[in-house]
Amino acid sequence: MITSERRAEVSLVVRRVVLLESRLPLRPEEITEAEPLNGELLRINSLGFLGMLVLLEDELDVSLPDDLFVKHTFTTVADLVDVVAGVVGEETT
Amino acid sequence: MTELPTAWRSVLPHLGYRLPPDVSPPASTGPISPQVPLELARQSLSQREWWPVPAPVAERYASYRPTPLWRARRFEAEVGARVPIYVKYEGGNLSGSHKLTTALAQAHYYQRAGVRELVTGTGAGQWGTALAAACAAFGLSCTVFMVERSLRAKPYRGSLMRLLGATVHASPSELTKVGTSGESVNSLALAIGEAVEYARDGADRSFCIGSGETYSILHQSVIGIEAISQLAELSGAVDVVIGCVGAGSNFGGVALPFFAAHRADELADLPLLLAAESNATPKLSRGVYAYDVTDATGTGPMEAMYTIGAGYPIPGSHSAGLRFHGAAKLLSAMRHRDQIAAVAVGQRSALAAGELFAKSELIVPAPESGHALAAAASVASGRDAAHRTSTGVLVCVSGHGLLDLSAYDDLLAGTVRDAPASAEALLAATAALRPVDTPELTEVS
Repeated sequence: MITSERRAEVSLVVRRVVLLESRLPLRPEEITEAEPLNGELLRINSLGFLGMLVLLEDELDVSLPDDLFVKHTFTTVADLVDVVAGVVGEETT
Repeated sequence: MTELPTAWRSVLPHLGYRLPPDVSPPASTGPISPQVPLELARQSLSQREWWPVPAPVAERYASYRPTPLWRARRFEAEVGARVPIYVKYEGGNLSGSHKLTTALAQAHYYQRAGVRELVTGTGAGQWGTALAAACAAFGLSCTVFMVERSLRAKPYRGSLMRLLGATVHASPSELTKVGTSGESVNSLALAIGEAVEYARDGADRSFCIGSGETYSILHQSVIGIEAISQLAELSGAVDVVIGCVGAGSNFGGVALPFFAAHRADELADLPLLLAAESNATPKLSRGVYAYDVTDATGTGPMEAMYTIGAGYPIPGSHSAGLRFHGAAKLLSAMRHRDQIAAVAVGQRSALAAGELFAKSELIVPAPESGHALAAAASVASGRDAAHRTSTGVLVCVSGHGLLDLSAYDDLLAGTVRDAPASAEALLAATAALRPVDTPELTEVS
């Protein structure tokens, strides 16, 4: 189980990475978790998404398992934060 | 004695730049559903050089690797070679081509990711056969969309895939929207598009691609790793390395380990790395470096590639494996930097070289491989004024042609015709593509 503080840290890292992938000059605090990953603001394609996961592994020092991602659907930033926070929580308990 | 490589070797850390990122097609928004296992993404994006071959994959490799390499003295005599020609032969496995080497790796990673069925498109059928075999090896279901003309010409390809448990559909089929739309003029891109759509609509299905992806080229690096060791054992020196190019995994597999070894100071001299492509699809020699789609659905990201345009009307040929409009983004970036070279070969020359090779070395090469053999013959004999050799040529024969005998029948009957791409058609098919800006090839120290 992940603490709310740690989840907030993960959320910040995820938002920073999605902004980086979308090449947007915004601060992580300027987008919410409700923002679509591939919409009017953020423009993330499927390979870019995988590249983000690889970057998140480095940033958070975790190994993200394939069975949580392949054929799963991610619509918003929150979808991604939830899965990554779940893995971070498992690795710290 | 050359042993089975225990790791794949990535060329990415030796390039000196990063590959241009893919771009989303216009007006493409909506949820993201990753189709590719993360480990394959890591292999495509990381700067790590060596990737251990997983034990279940290595176990399967051991049944057919290392593949043979020999000096083809009789072929040299037939073509009037002035230097030795060394042949690396990848046709000695059940699938009959190099494609099994990445199919096994991909099936392993998809199975580990929880996928139950792999779906693909295939032209000549070599990739479809390889994936069918790999799925059988790892307990996955397999569905293959094969170019209808090719399936009709090579019915035993379908038989072999079905024997291995795969379901085979002739493309275009009635199963997909893209197949029934009648819009695509590019048969392999259409077969791939059907596979993409069919996989997307199934819960436990994933689309799986054979050649152009960076991870496919990584898996094929065992070809070049073995070849470097085998040449050393024979005290064989080469200054030209040749492979045929559909999208690029065979050529990348044999050639890029030489590049990596040279950059790592393991080889004093870098051979000329020469891609042999069909003159009907001359993407590396006459195409443009631009963002283009990889399949007929146009729903996936656009990649920076040398392309003749996804809409280019590729004529029918006996080398369905080369009938693809674009080259792998890795090879395309290297071509853009003059790190590899390319030559276009007509199918008559390719099949004639294949006939000579069969008579002299007693192996019937796939028509695709005939393009590489024709290029090797031209270079080794001095007939290719643009690509010179003074020590020797290594050529990869990517597969056998025992299921392509109708092509050789046509050669013997004198009915094989070349269909080189016309300048007007190339211009029309590429005019609307967005060129890749050089600054996007980001320099790294």
